[in-house]
Amino acid sequence: MQNLEHEYRLEMSGISKSFGVVSVLKNVNLKVKPGEIHALLGENGAGKSTLIKILSGVHQKDNGTVLLNGKEINPKNTHDGQVLGISVVFQELSLVNDLSVAENIYLHKLGSSQFWMNWKEITQNAQELIDSLGFKIDASATVRNLSIVQKQVVEIAKALSEDTKVLVLDEPTTVFDPTDTKKLLDNLFKLRDKGISIIYISHHLEEVFKIADTITVLRDGVDTGSVSTKETNTDDVIKMMIGRELKDLYPTRTAKIGANPVFEVKNLTAKDNLVHDVSFDVKPGEVLGIAGLGGSGRTEMAKLIFGVDKKKSGTLLLEGKEIKTSSPVEAVSHKIGFVSEDRKEEGVFLPMSIRKNISVTNFNFISNPFGFLKRDKEQKNVTELIEKLNIKTPSSEIEVKNLSGGNQQKVALAKWLSIDSKVIIIDEPTRGVDVGAKIEIYNLINEVAEKGVGVIVISSDMPEIMGIADRIQVMHTGTIYGELPKEKFSEENILRYAIGKPLKELSI
Amino acid sequence: MTQTIKQQLSSPGGWLQFLIKYNTIFIFVLLVIFSAFISDVFFTSVNLSNLLKQVSGIGIISIGMLIVILTGGIDLSVGSMVALLAVTFAILVNLVILPLAILGTIVIGFALGSIAGYLVAYQKMAPFIATLALMTIARGLGFIYSNGSPIIFETKGGLFMSNFANNSTLGIPNIAIVFFIIVIGAMVMLKHNVFGRLVIAIGSNEEASRLSGIKVNKYKFLVYAISGALAATAAIIVASRTNLGSPNMGVAWELDAIAAVVIGGASLNGGKGTAINTLMGVLILGLISNILNLLNVPSYPQQVVKGGIIVFAVLLQRFENK
Repeated sequence: MQNLEHEYRLEMSGISKSFGVVSVLKNVNLKVKPGEIHALLGENGAGKSTLIKILSGVHQKDNGTVLLNGKEINPKNTHDGQVLGISVVFQELSLVNDLSVAENIYLHKLGSSQFWMNWKEITQNAQELIDSLGFKIDASATVRNLSIVQKQVVEIAKALSEDTKVLVLDEPTTVFDPTDTKKLLDNLFKLRDKGISIIYISHHLEEVFKIADTITVLRDGVDTGSVSTKETNTDDVIKMMIGRELKDLYPTRTAKIGANPVFEVKNLTAKDNLVHDVSFDVKPGEVLGIAGLGGSGRTEMAKLIFGVDKKKSGTLLLEGKEIKTSSPVEAVSHKIGFVSEDRKEEGVFLPMSIRKNISVTNFNFISNPFGFLKRDKEQKNVTELIEKLNIKTPSSEIEVKNLSGGNQQKVALAKWLSIDSKVIIIDEPTRGVDVGAKIEIYNLINEVAEKGVGVIVISSDMPEIMGIADRIQVMHTGTIYGELPKEKFSEENILRYAIGKPLKELSI
Repeated sequence: MTQTIKQQLSSPGGWLQFLIKYNTIFIFVLLVIFSAFISDVFFTSVNLSNLLKQVSGIGIISIGMLIVILTGGIDLSVGSMVALLAVTFAILVNLVILPLAILGTIVIGFALGSIAGYLVAYQKMAPFIATLALMTIARGLGFIYSNGSPIIFETKGGLFMSNFANNSTLGIPNIAIVFFIIVIGAMVMLKHNVFGRLVIAIGSNEEASRLSGIKVNKYKFLVYAISGALAATAAIIVASRTNLGSPNMGVAWELDAIAAVVIGGASLNGGKGTAINTLMGVLILGLISNILNLLNVPSYPQQVVKGGIIVFAVLLQRFENK
């Protein structure tokens, strides 16, 4: 096989894919050489994950061809993909929590070859594989008991347990600290030198420029070209990613920020998770950004405030008065809103209409004391919000599952606007949303703040959070590590706080 | 509504889509036509009124089942509850005045359902398990309180109920009228009341409901209690028809109720289903038994046919989702 050298190990050309009416990929090309680290860049929702899922067999393409070593392949499921030598480490971990590390690594082989499993040998092989990566994990440990970093390593080991020709890593280092990241990257260099083609998806431009040989950029489902890393720079790549200068993306902040905080959190500590001693405030009209790495407790903190998780201690003050939020019901009654990062699972009701989605928080207004609905009033309220938020839909009766991610997110926001919330916490407002909708959501956040709402935005997307926030609180290991005023906004500063280091130079 | 139907019919392939969308009604109509052809007796008023009387009891518990299934739960206890509550009603009707006996039975039904509701909503027990336990307990209690034998109505109140249950008003059996009123009540509550909206919201996405500030536990509790109260209503009707309460009543009715709800297009995952379609499901199941009886098919092959119809109905619904 190997002597039939093709210039490219993998050639994906003219790939198109749509889900329902939403076109996710349009005529995308991706060509990867043997022994190359090829970065696949693009914003959230640009279609990177879909492209990879087509490559690995999770999704089937509508159009286009995929050549592996010059031969057309058509994997129907991930097993087909693995047999062909395509291994993917997905962003969402796909390990079985109740099995051991070794069992997970060899899960795809269980039951395929022989009847009796040689556990001793399997565990030993798994241990050797992990050791060769330079991480310390016991191969016989149950996956449930591992840290998220260790789980990620097991995922990578699992991908390498096959005779891998193409290894895909989808944002592998988001949960890693710098030492682990370096270890992982060293491993990637070793694998590359062995001739494995690596497709590396990351938002981390710095990292990409350190390791990648070639960069392919996707934007809104179209590839905007491939360049050699040596012949380009960060600015050009960003331009390729967003198709415009960065500054157009974010609205000019016009909201007047009030003097006294509308909402204060003091020494908030969780009963059952890592969140502890969190204190901050948000003023009316202000957009407060919460940054931090994955696993730093941002979402947990939001859910703690909103009454989803149990508090151990701490006080919440709304307009200066102490409030209790021991359940979301109570939080909502104090007019606190929460838009979850997990839109489909926790944010919207996919099989229900836009109207019913928006009304779900607002029954006091649209029903009589016996609970009978006033349809006219409901319809009027919903129609107003659909227009105001520019939700693109032919009617309020369309089921939310038929909307694009951006419009779904607007529906999730709309239900909090319909009850005039005083504080709205938005977790990852633009995850999986295309650029056009992103701008609309940013404008929307701006407008909401303008009405005097205190807006708390949690985001992993650093340009985003710097673009829309007035102030940023950075979380590290479950608490707020530091606050950045607008003049100190920079990716570097956020990162330093996020990994628990002070800022480089203390000016002033 | 009529406009959209017209639009659908005028578009190419519209007829097919229309049939798929309203497949439950379509199957029902088909069965009626088929029955009318196959048997002379079918379209007689005696037969039709018998058919309605037969389905009313199961029909009422099917509405309770629908509401539970809409939240994503299931209630296996309803058949045994009918037995226990029929015995309860027979005891009460011989003890106290009729209105009190009816009210008492319904309150007890509500209370028993509340136990399942409490276990599911507040103790996070799987609905299947909680109601399975209640099913066994209710059947056992039914035998204990009746000493294992039927309790016969012996008072004027009992006589009144038995007359009511076996007579008709304007040609419609009284108990079918009770059933239809409950169906209409459910339709109104599901479509025009916050209760229905929230029950469906919880079934379609429980976590999103919780994060929207909905009292999820309260509603999950309520649906089982309501299912219990409806089981009591069914029990009163069934006992009155036969003039007695027996611990052997309602055997496997929970399964017929689930079948009716599923044939009516409801999703066992919750969030999808309507009262009118459940009514159709109930009538379809009743029709099948009825026509097979008219054709003198013995009861075992009847079960096979019933099972086949359930599979067919659910397969048809898959097209709807595409």
